Parts: sequence; C-alpha cells; structure tokens
Amino acid sequence: MLINSVGIILREVLEASLIMSVLLALSHLNQISRSWCIGATIMGLIGATLYAVNLATISSLYDGLGQEIVNICLYVLIFIFVLIIVKTLSQKPKAKLFVFSMVVCVAAAIVREGSEVIIYLNGFSSIPELFTPVLIGGAIGAGIGLSVGVFFYYLIINLSAVNAYCFSLAILILVAGGLMSQMTQLLLQADLVPSQSVIWDTSWLVSEHSLVGQILFALMGYEATPTMLQVVLYVVSIVITTGFAYGSFKTYKKAG
Amino acid sequence: MLLFAVISLPALSTPVFEIEIRNHLFFPSELTVPVNTKVKLLIINRDSSAEEFESYELNREKIIPANSKGVVFIGPLKPGVYPFFGEFFPKTAQGKIHVNEQ
Repeated sequence: MLINSVGIILREVLEASLIMSVLLALSHLNQISRSWCIGATIMGLIGATLYAVNLATISSLYDGLGQEIVNICLYVLIFIFVLIIVKTLSQKPKAKLFVFSMVVCVAAAIVREGSEVIIYLNGFSSIPELFTPVLIGGAIGAGIGLSVGVFFYYLIINLSAVNAYCFSLAILILVAGGLMSQMTQLLLQADLVPSQSVIWDTSWLVSEHSLVGQILFALMGYEATPTMLQVVLYVVSIVITTGFAYGSFKTYKKAG
Repeated sequence: MLLFAVISLPALSTPVFEIEIRNHLFFPSELTVPVNTKVKLLIINRDSSAEEFESYELNREKIIPANSKGVVFIGPLKPGVYPFFGEFFPKTAQGKIHVNEQ
C-alpha cells in the first residue's frame, strides 16, 4: 500500500509542481515578486477541498459525466492561461495580466491534482490499519514531487537568461500539449465527441506502466495508444503555443 | 452504407455493461464486449471509500466516489485483452475486458 501511495501522490504532485516551478522561475527572471504563488496555492487548496467534498454530487450531474465536464473546463482554463503567460512573458506593460495568469494556472492545477489527493487520502481515513502507511507513502510521494519542482526551479534560474527563457518556454509548450491530450481523452471518455479508434501503439517502446512512461506523461502527456483527435489537438496546441513562444522570445531579444 | 448505419445509430443502442466494486474487488472482474463497438461501462462503487477506475490500455481514468456510480465510455476496440484496475486498491481491484473476433 505504501509504495502504491508514493506513486499516486507523486504523479499528482509532480504535474502541479512542474508548472509551479517553471512559473516561479519565470517570475524570478522577470524580477517579479514570487509572493503571488502563496495566494494561488491557498486558493487552489480551497478549490481542491471543495471539489473533493462535492465530488459525488458533481459526478452525478449531466448523466454521470459531471466529473469529466469539470476536468475538461479546468484543462481548457489552464491551457488558455498558459497561452496568455507565454504571450505576455516579455511584455513589461502587461505584467499584471502575466501575474494574474500565473495565479489562475497554479490555482487551477492545484484544484485538479489536489482534489484527487484529498479524495484518495480521505478514502483511507476510515481504514485505520492502512491510513498510516498511506499517509507516510503520500508524504514521500509529495516530497519527491516537490523536490523535482525545486530542482527544476534552480536549474532554470541558474541558466543564462536566454537559455532559461527557452527552456521554460519549451516546458510550457509540452505542458500545453499534454493538457489538450488529456482533455481529448476526457471528451472521448464522456462520449462528448464521436468515438475514435486507436491509431498507433507504442507501448512496446515506452509502456505507460513504466517509470519513463509516467515521467513522459507528466511532462508532455505521453500516450502509448492515442486516437486521431488526440494527436491532431496535441499537434495544434503545440503549434499555437510555439508560435506564441517564438513571438515572445523575439520581443525579449529585441528588448535586450 | 455501413458508415451511415454507424452514424445513424441512436445513442440508446450503445451497449451498457455494469461493473460493481465491492470490498475493493470488481464484479465481474472479466467481461467480454463486442468488437469495434462503442460501449458504456456503468461502474457502481458499493464500498465506503472512493476508487479510481483506470486502464492504460483503454486510456481511461475516472474516480468513482464511495457509494455512487460513474459512467465511462470505451471503444471501439480491436480484438484483444484490455486490463483495468482500481488505482486506489490495485492489489485486489483488477479486471480484464475481452474483445473477441466476431
């Protein structure tokens, strides 16, 4: 049970921690106070608790598809604000919008991932003999996930400014693709778009069960057996975000 | 013709399969669904703790809160075996979906 809980909590924390570390590093590079993150985290945790407590009610909405609809909205919300972040990154006059977008992204990511953590832990609170190992495992998982975030943060801020921007933008581009890929999966799961067959299978190369598969999933939404819609939306979101990132990078270089 | 037939199929004709979760086990733990067909899984969690229905092979993941039910659409699937599991209690909550040639 302990190992399992390490894995579950790690996966959830890693996704939120990765976004948070990149945005904190960008704040550092732009000489913006990083205090926005505290408010965003608190809002995210409140939102995650509310979502977790009301999950049964939310799930039963829209013929049992309420959960997918809320999660799709969260993914779209994060995606839109990742785009705004990438767009406003090097525009000093838009600093307020930039900070606001980072708050929305981090808060929404915590709602999405944090609610699963709360639901998971809460399920074990009624099973005393398992609760302690699950809590210990969860703490280890959260610790590893946060450490990876801290590692990324220091990695980025210790690069030269140009490399730091490139690296951060590359991660945001991959995260944006991953968000759209996960959103498509939920659209299919809820039957909100016409059902699709799988177009290829790379599980022989990198299995989603493997550690590498899990890391690739957290980083760029890796999927061994995608559908056509998923691949198309993934590519489209990567292209759009890369376009925005390129524009932003040019502005940054011009500004010196 | 076949294409039109598929498009015009009313939503009601989607076959429904029920899976119950009891004591962190799936009932039935193995089921067979039709090939190349969209299928609706109705997952009923009778336990007092939440479970997450998950399958890498089916690309599906959904939390089923305690004492409640959830809907997951899967397919159309090629013939094969598609394992699924309960992410919160993976030692016991294991199952397989079989898709056989017609």
